[in-house]
Amino acid sequence: MNWEVIFQPDTLALYGQGLVVTLQLTLISLAVGAVLALLCALALVSNQRLLRWPAQAFTYFMRGTPLLIQVYLIYYGFAQLEWVQARWDTVWPWTHFKEPFFCALLSFSLNTAAYTAEMLAGSIRETGKGEVEAARAMGMGPWLLMRRIVLPGAIRRMLPAYGNEVVMMLHSSSLASTVPALLDLTGAASRVYADFYLPFEAYLFAAAIYLCITLGLIGATRLLERRYLGYLTHRKS
Amino acid sequence: MSNPVKLQVQDIHKRYGANEVLKGVSLTAHGGDVISIIGSSGSGKSTLLRCINLLERPQQGRILVAGEELHLRPGRDGALEAADQRQLQRLRTRLAMVFQHFNLWAHKTVLGNITEAPVHVLGLPRDEAVERARKYLRLVGLEGREDTYPNHMSGGQQQRVAIARALAVEPEVMLFDEPTSALDPELVGEVLRVMQVLAQEGRTMVVVTHEMGFAREVANHVIFLHQGLIEEQGDPREVMARPRSERLARFLSGNLK
Amino acid sequence: MRMGRPARSIALPLMSGYYFSILHGALLTVAVSLASLAAATLIGLAGAAAKLSGRRPLVWAATFYTTVVRGIPELLMMLLVFYGGAIGLNTLLEALGHDEGVDLDPFVAGVLTIGFIYGAYMTETFRGAILAIPRGQMEAAWAFGMGRGRTFLRITLPQMVRYALPSFTNNWLVLIKATALVSLIGLHDMTYLAKQSSAAVREPFAFFLFTAALYLAYTSLSLWVLRRVSARYSLGADKVQL
Repeated sequence: MNWEVIFQPDTLALYGQGLVVTLQLTLISLAVGAVLALLCALALVSNQRLLRWPAQAFTYFMRGTPLLIQVYLIYYGFAQLEWVQARWDTVWPWTHFKEPFFCALLSFSLNTAAYTAEMLAGSIRETGKGEVEAARAMGMGPWLLMRRIVLPGAIRRMLPAYGNEVVMMLHSSSLASTVPALLDLTGAASRVYADFYLPFEAYLFAAAIYLCITLGLIGATRLLERRYLGYLTHRKS
Repeated sequence: MSNPVKLQVQDIHKRYGANEVLKGVSLTAHGGDVISIIGSSGSGKSTLLRCINLLERPQQGRILVAGEELHLRPGRDGALEAADQRQLQRLRTRLAMVFQHFNLWAHKTVLGNITEAPVHVLGLPRDEAVERARKYLRLVGLEGREDTYPNHMSGGQQQRVAIARALAVEPEVMLFDEPTSALDPELVGEVLRVMQVLAQEGRTMVVVTHEMGFAREVANHVIFLHQGLIEEQGDPREVMARPRSERLARFLSGNLK
Repeated sequence: MRMGRPARSIALPLMSGYYFSILHGALLTVAVSLASLAAATLIGLAGAAAKLSGRRPLVWAATFYTTVVRGIPELLMMLLVFYGGAIGLNTLLEALGHDEGVDLDPFVAGVLTIGFIYGAYMTETFRGAILAIPRGQMEAAWAFGMGRGRTFLRITLPQMVRYALPSFTNNWLVLIKATALVSLIGLHDMTYLAKQSSAAVREPFAFFLFTAALYLAYTSLSLWVLRRVSARYSLGADKVQL
């Protein structure tokens, strides 16, 4: 196995570039997705059918189809629409559809938003009835109740599952390599393979980086769980 | 006395790490004996019972079922283990256990639970096993409930099914591990009544229990365990009315029944 | 949403050939997913057995496997197996004296990769399920003279299924979607054909939506079936929420 090529400064720089894009995609998608997820989750648990049904349709679609298809739909599909094409040189939001980074970001954000929304909605539904009753008995209105009682508990309970979602997002970001002209960590590995014909070394190196970040994320999640979920005593084993 | 010895347990020692739970306990059961083991929590009563069918492994001791000795050898961790798995399995079918938490197999119906061991361990043909099951279900008062699932029944009913399951293998000795401790008070009676019927039929039973009434009225021998040793034993009418040991007296006065 | 072209161009005569080819690709998708599921389930059972065996080398090996496999993206693993594996295989064959190269069949590569990846998730599924069974169930079996083997088959395994179903279903749904990645190593599944068709006729939206609908149908049908299976297995116990 030829590792010297991998550890040349040029190659390492390529991996570094890819890593930066990967991290950007992951973090921004998670941030945008989280905000969307909050809105979507509130819609999912709402009593208003007009809010709930579109939200359910959204999560149903996003969770029932592969991310790859979603990326293709946004990158190739939207870009094909003449309506979008007419505007993407001049009108603001649509200008971004020319950029591969934006298209990838949009699909990733929507995807994680859907999964996180269902997670959060499920967590909200698990709120103890007693807690809600106590708050109502003290005269809390619905928004205050949601903000100070339901959501904090729901978000904390969701922590282990969301930690998993963060790791999933990191891994999903590798699909950016399927978008032409976008170089993430996986794309960098593919480029190194193409340039030097060393698939093992190229991909293994990238795998090692992903693995390290993943383990770091899992460790961080455990720390957060210990700090914020300590109040949930373990049931007797 | 032509009364055969059904079960003999000699000098059982059991240790969990540094904690010695049984410090040399022996027990003999003749046919028709109903032996009641009493004592406070931590005295080792359940551990002793579970050593008999080797669900717990003692560090030292001998176990003989209907005259046949269970061959034991030291295991990797210092506790004894069965030298011959087949013999262990065979002897286990000569003993049957009724557990504190019933332990009925959740995915099987009542009939499935009772016929499982007779068909798959004893090799009985299915119709014979079903006939036995029906007979013992009638004995415990649950006729007609063959197709019910355990979790659709009350605790008392589940325990009675467990007793029928134990009866179905027609054991030499029946072992009861605190059979009523997990039951709501109003359900205790139905189980004790069944056990009384079994005793009157002449079955050999070893019962670990907190029910002093049962020990006094139904058992013909009571063993009081304290911190891993037999403090006192004998005829319950003697021992429980006039305990010689002070600890036993204190134990009994703390138990209102 | 206004589509610039007149509706006529999505008319049946021109496009139907492409739609049918995508449906054909759907068959391959189903084949890949079912084959991978079989592989993943077998690996999962073995992995769970290893982790629960208590023997340190087995536990260590299984833990290493599940940690590493779940720590890298599936796409990356697939590329590694497909491109790296082909070269590795050829190098090995050269060393053994065969001069002709061997092409790694993309179907085999895809199934092996996906099976290998989801075997790790299934290991955790089965392990968790076995641990969830109350110990008393097995103790009762032993007390009545059942040996380890028989206890595992008649008591542990049936109950494990009940506890494993929610997590198993989840893994299966994720696996179905993961099969779309085999399109990237050249397998003519429905994603591959959708991409080809949209490049040929320049109607990506229609084709990708069609493919999305097919995936939705597949995942929805699976969920329906597995919910019914779960209900049947829960007959003896409390309802399990999927």
